[in-house]
Amino acid sequence: MMMTMMMNGGEATEAELFLNCDDMSVLERQRVQLNYHQYHHPGFEPTLPCFFPNSSKMNVGEVDSFLPSAGLDLPEIYGELHGDARISVSPGNITTESENSKKRKFGCVDTETKVCNEKKKMMMMMDREVAVEEEEEEEKSKVTEQSTRSIMKMKEQNSCSNDSSKVTKDSQRTDYIHVRARRGQATDSHSIAERARREKISERMKFLQDLVPGCEKITGKAGMLDEIINYVQSLQRQVEFLSMKLATVSPRVDFNIDDIFAKEVVSAPMMNLPNTVMPPHMMVNSGYPHDMVNSGYVHFNPMQQVVTSSDPLSCFNNGQSATMWDSDVQNLYSNLGV
Amino acid sequence: MERQIINKKKRVFSVEPNKIPPSEVFTRKYTSLLVPALKKLNMNKNSSQVNQLTVKHEVDMALALSAQEFAWSRFLLQKLSSSNNPTTTTSSSSNGIRIQERSGKEGGHEDGEREEKLRELQKLLPGGEEMNVEEMLGEIGNYIKCLELQTIALKSIVQDTT
Repeated sequence: MMMTMMMNGGEATEAELFLNCDDMSVLERQRVQLNYHQYHHPGFEPTLPCFFPNSSKMNVGEVDSFLPSAGLDLPEIYGELHGDARISVSPGNITTESENSKKRKFGCVDTETKVCNEKKKMMMMMDREVAVEEEEEEEKSKVTEQSTRSIMKMKEQNSCSNDSSKVTKDSQRTDYIHVRARRGQATDSHSIAERARREKISERMKFLQDLVPGCEKITGKAGMLDEIINYVQSLQRQVEFLSMKLATVSPRVDFNIDDIFAKEVVSAPMMNLPNTVMPPHMMVNSGYPHDMVNSGYVHFNPMQQVVTSSDPLSCFNNGQSATMWDSDVQNLYSNLGV
Repeated sequence: MERQIINKKKRVFSVEPNKIPPSEVFTRKYTSLLVPALKKLNMNKNSSQVNQLTVKHEVDMALALSAQEFAWSRFLLQKLSSSNNPTTTTSSSSNGIRIQERSGKEGGHEDGEREEKLRELQKLLPGGEEMNVEEMLGEIGNYIKCLELQTIALKSIVQDTT
């Protein structure tokens, strides 16, 4: 584990060691301010002289030598340092450890790139009790978001690890969503929120693309929107047309819910529909529980063609019903495929 | 039993990542709502013609009631209940606008064009204009699904009666 340490004090020489993101899970380095040591070592008197002369000799290797490896037990380290040291810890360790609560005083909780690989939105509470230094914001960061299917994320990770050799400054206030800006992009809250919003929108567009038939080849957002609009309109038109038809036939109607489902069920095995939308719908009524059918059984006069008895299941037993309605239903569904 | 075999084939698919309406549930609700309503309509107006608008009203009502977990259904219900005269909730037949290819108009107008289309989409969705874009896009997904199911149910009902 590497640590970045910054010593400060009266005669401080600020030595900063930079972390390398040798680990894909490390995104950012945070700085722990003096407050940490104030929390943990209230009675601390700066014994800087004994420490600081060594500071210039500090390098990564030395840092490593007295740091515990994975568990990054900061209080221990702190004790070792004897110094008014500002420690910025590698976030990867901190976040994943259960000692997170301890380390919150550092306020350097960080997100991992692993999150990007998961289909979850990472919300990090930044518990910043740190004193603010005059530092400028660093553009090096990334947006951790819900859309995980894009390769873009991997690229971001790559760019992040490339940038990790740079200095990371404290940039975030207390926020609930720890969002990183990509390299070279603005980090003000507006653009970050805007970008998050856009990504969410594009994710939904992708989802819609799966939903609307025949959209796989269309790549542009505008084209996709076109398709969606057309599809919704055609569906609505179909519904209107059908309800019109229903209005004309309803005076003579003999409703039999049963038959409706029977037809659905019966036609299911025989359908060979190119439209991916259809098959799930075919199965819709097939799972219709028996008791529900009975309770919903609206019984005027059984349709003479299909139901020969009052037994709801008769249409299944009656193999003829299949063939009788076959062509009708096939037309029905082929029309639906449009 | 055939029904058992068919039961095994039933599928539940997700309309939206965070919402999963079993299509079966929807269709069941829908038909069980619509059919009795139509029956009632028939009985109430034996002699006179069943008004097409009334039927449409019932159709839309059944749709809205069957999909109450979605935002758009609330808007649809509002629209339906607020009007005494049954109105067509979808004006697609009167507008009948088919979006034409606008692929030529790329460039600087890209965003504006996209926004225009989003607005168009918002008009199609009941209550879409009151939602923001992301919410609307999510709702459109399950609205489409429910429309499809509704279409099937309606077709089978119509088929049943002809």
